[in-house]
Amino acid sequence: MNTSPPSRTLLWRLVLVVLAAAVLVIFSYGWTVTDIDLAVPQEAQRQENVGNALRELLSPNVFSQEYEVKTATTSFLINCPADFTAPAAAPATDQPYIVVEPGCGTANEPVTVSGFNFAANGLARVNWIALDGERRIRQVIGTGEDNFSINAEGSFSVQVEVPRIRGTTGETHTVEVQGRFPLGLPTLSATTGLVLEKMVETIFLALIATAVSILPSAILSFFAAQNLMRPVRTSLGGLLLTVALFPVGWWIGSTLLTQLGMLALNIGRGNFSGSAAATLFVFVGMVASTRKLGTGSTLETVSQPRALLNAVLIALGSVLVIGLVGGLGLLFGSLFSEGIPGYLSAFIGSLGGMVELVMPLIAGVIGAFTLSSIGTTLTRDAFKRLSATTSHLLGGVLGALAGAVVLGATSAVGMSAAWMGLLTPFVAGGLASVILPQLYQRFINPPQPGVMPNRPLLTLLNWIGTVIGFVATFLLLNVRQALVEGTLPDPAIGFAGMGIVLPVYVLQAMLIGAVIGAVAGALAGTRGNFPIGTVLYSTTRTVLNALRSIEPLIMGLVFVIWVGIGPFAGVLALTLHSIASLGKLYSEQIESIDTGPIEALQSTGANRLQTIMYAVVPQIIPPYIAFTMYRWDINVRMSTIIGFVGGGGIGFLLQQQINLLRYRDAGVAVLAIAIVVSILDYASAAIRERYT
Amino acid sequence: MLIIENLTKIYDNGFKALDNISLEIPDGQFVSIIGLSGSGKSTLLRCINRLVEPTKGRIIWNGLDITAATDDELRQIRRRIGMIFQQFNLVKRSSVLTNVMAGRLGYINPIFSLFNYFPPGEKQRAMAALQRVGIPEKAMNRASALSGGQQQRVGIARTLMQDPEMLLADEPVASLDPATSHSVMKYLELLNSEDGLTVLCSLHFLSLARAYSDRVIALKDGKLEFDGLPKDIDNERFKMIYGEDAVEVEIH
Repeated sequence: MNTSPPSRTLLWRLVLVVLAAAVLVIFSYGWTVTDIDLAVPQEAQRQENVGNALRELLSPNVFSQEYEVKTATTSFLINCPADFTAPAAAPATDQPYIVVEPGCGTANEPVTVSGFNFAANGLARVNWIALDGERRIRQVIGTGEDNFSINAEGSFSVQVEVPRIRGTTGETHTVEVQGRFPLGLPTLSATTGLVLEKMVETIFLALIATAVSILPSAILSFFAAQNLMRPVRTSLGGLLLTVALFPVGWWIGSTLLTQLGMLALNIGRGNFSGSAAATLFVFVGMVASTRKLGTGSTLETVSQPRALLNAVLIALGSVLVIGLVGGLGLLFGSLFSEGIPGYLSAFIGSLGGMVELVMPLIAGVIGAFTLSSIGTTLTRDAFKRLSATTSHLLGGVLGALAGAVVLGATSAVGMSAAWMGLLTPFVAGGLASVILPQLYQRFINPPQPGVMPNRPLLTLLNWIGTVIGFVATFLLLNVRQALVEGTLPDPAIGFAGMGIVLPVYVLQAMLIGAVIGAVAGALAGTRGNFPIGTVLYSTTRTVLNALRSIEPLIMGLVFVIWVGIGPFAGVLALTLHSIASLGKLYSEQIESIDTGPIEALQSTGANRLQTIMYAVVPQIIPPYIAFTMYRWDINVRMSTIIGFVGGGGIGFLLQQQINLLRYRDAGVAVLAIAIVVSILDYASAAIRERYT
Repeated sequence: MLIIENLTKIYDNGFKALDNISLEIPDGQFVSIIGLSGSGKSTLLRCINRLVEPTKGRIIWNGLDITAATDDELRQIRRRIGMIFQQFNLVKRSSVLTNVMAGRLGYINPIFSLFNYFPPGEKQRAMAALQRVGIPEKAMNRASALSGGQQQRVGIARTLMQDPEMLLADEPVASLDPATSHSVMKYLELLNSEDGLTVLCSLHFLSLARAYSDRVIALKDGKLEFDGLPKDIDNERFKMIYGEDAVEVEIH
């Protein structure tokens, strides 16, 4: 019995034919678009050019040889007289000498020059010296070059033409052969030296970029791992409070804590032993305070005031320690200036300088996190005891604050570039998306345990809300103008004071955020659950993917503008790309771990941090090492060409040599790249094999 | 005393794993939970320490409402409830000692864990726990180098670190051969009789349930099918629990 009806087979064949035709059309279009013309490579001129270029590339100027030039001369009579007799053969010596046969002749007549006792397999050239003493290089008949080769016995016999020199008939000219005698062994050429120097720069460029990117991408990878982030949920009230308190904490941190940090930094910079002792003292104090006030090994629960005191102490202590360490770094940076201590000193000093530079940022972050954590700790239990009405009222108030903060932040970013203005409508859409599903679930069809919610409808409502939020914000903030004209929002100042400056544009966005946030917060109430993990996960993934899609060469272009031509720009470009790329690779490793140990540690009462430290980290260390090696390998390849846009390393040299048409020198660079890349390829593969 | 009231669990995909289960388990009892695969044994055990969030119902243990506990309270409760798993759930690359010490994490300041620091004395406690399950000499081996039975004993040692009052065992011997199964079950019996731990153990084999438990609970399609003494499961009850075609196999 025929199992498949014939009509379907026919249809299937027809589809196949149409598909094949479509593929053919697409392919032919691509052929045309890419300008493929098989006649071009066959043009004689082009073939000669590529031949020459390749010949020089494949004759890299790696070695150089020093030569001593020895000359041998003999006389030559122009126009043979009748009674001409050849001069007697030269005496047998170990010095180079030449014989010309015949010893006389007319212009354009070929004569044979033979030489003896020259350097074996060396090069030599024939000069014709007329009476006026001027040297004329004679080309040997049958060669294209000025130089000709000497045979293995150190002798040669070549034919040259007698030059036509006016008014010299009957005169005696001199034939001279300059033979090159190698002095010592061949040495590496100057080009090779330069290439080696640049290669070292290249390898370190890749190494630094890889090393610097490890820590940020390892941290980001946890946020980009779906299996870790998806279960992370937080109470909506706590989250809203955190967001609302964040700018306040930031303000306190960056204005007040910075002062403390800078004070510590200056103390650290002043005196070595004193500030080292102070650092140790503060650090030990922090540990002791944590042991005393924090969750100790036997304390059942920690009372709130103690936890708060501990949080404040930790914040102050961290700023002090960072400041002191930064100051010590600056102090150390001024100690040495030469040799290995000099390198160390410069490195540690620049780290100290970095601390000094970003102190307001560090202090702001510490302040923001401390205040947020204090806020959530204080209110955690209070939120639970609220009545339903109060919970929704408070949700509205906190939602308004949090919405204002979020949209204020995005609109501040939006002021930097026209298309960044899109960020605010997108986030507003995200906030507004929760409103309609919440309304539906609250008033029309409350969710019941055991009954599957109407997912398609909720998703649809979600999308409607997103679109409404997006469009409304888009219109209200006049993003259209920014998109079309490329203009930035009006920078008119709407509020200034207490070290804060808020443009009208940001205030408008904050108002929109407050309205949307208030509605959404009031509907959800503080007792709602927020999938903070999923939000963090998708944000991190989006940012990583966007960064990864920008080639390091393009990043290099931007960084060259920022920090100038040189390896520093290359390091920055490769670091940024490596962070995005490693972050993704690392996070995929986290997603593929065995989740059993996570479950087991959760069941012992370990908290999230401990679960990650003991169940996740041991599993991901080997793949992390493997991928880091892989990335170093890629970075070496990338750094060989990042120089083409000014990013330093060997690519910069290679580009110069190519532009100057010095292909033999370029060949050295290409050879060096090939050797280094293949060695690293092999090494990284070997290491990866060991760890996976 | 563990009191389970009207416990129901419906997964996000709509699957009803537990249907209105009510139980009372006095302290110190060795309870076996039997039933076919998918009958809700694992879900029941995981609801007790809320590795799985119950949909409805309450679980009250020593007067504490586990289902209403906050995250912090839940961690306090969890560290007194040990759990061992069918797949042992050890970190294979870590040493046996580290795996055992990890059972103590609930008692340790998370900041110390960031630096892999355990307070003095915890190592001795871990060695004592390994001594108890008879493999102190394996302390420095990688967990992956151990046999299945040894790995499960490491799992038991890890729960000992928690200083538990109750032990949840999710098919602890399903991946082991019959002889090793008995040795692991003997350790559970020892903890039950010597330390007075309440043990809730899900099992595939009725013969193991008969040999070790004071009480057998049978689940079928998420419902409580039987709750009584092991000897009361006759052939008729057996067919009710496992279906008409089932034949009892024994392991000795």
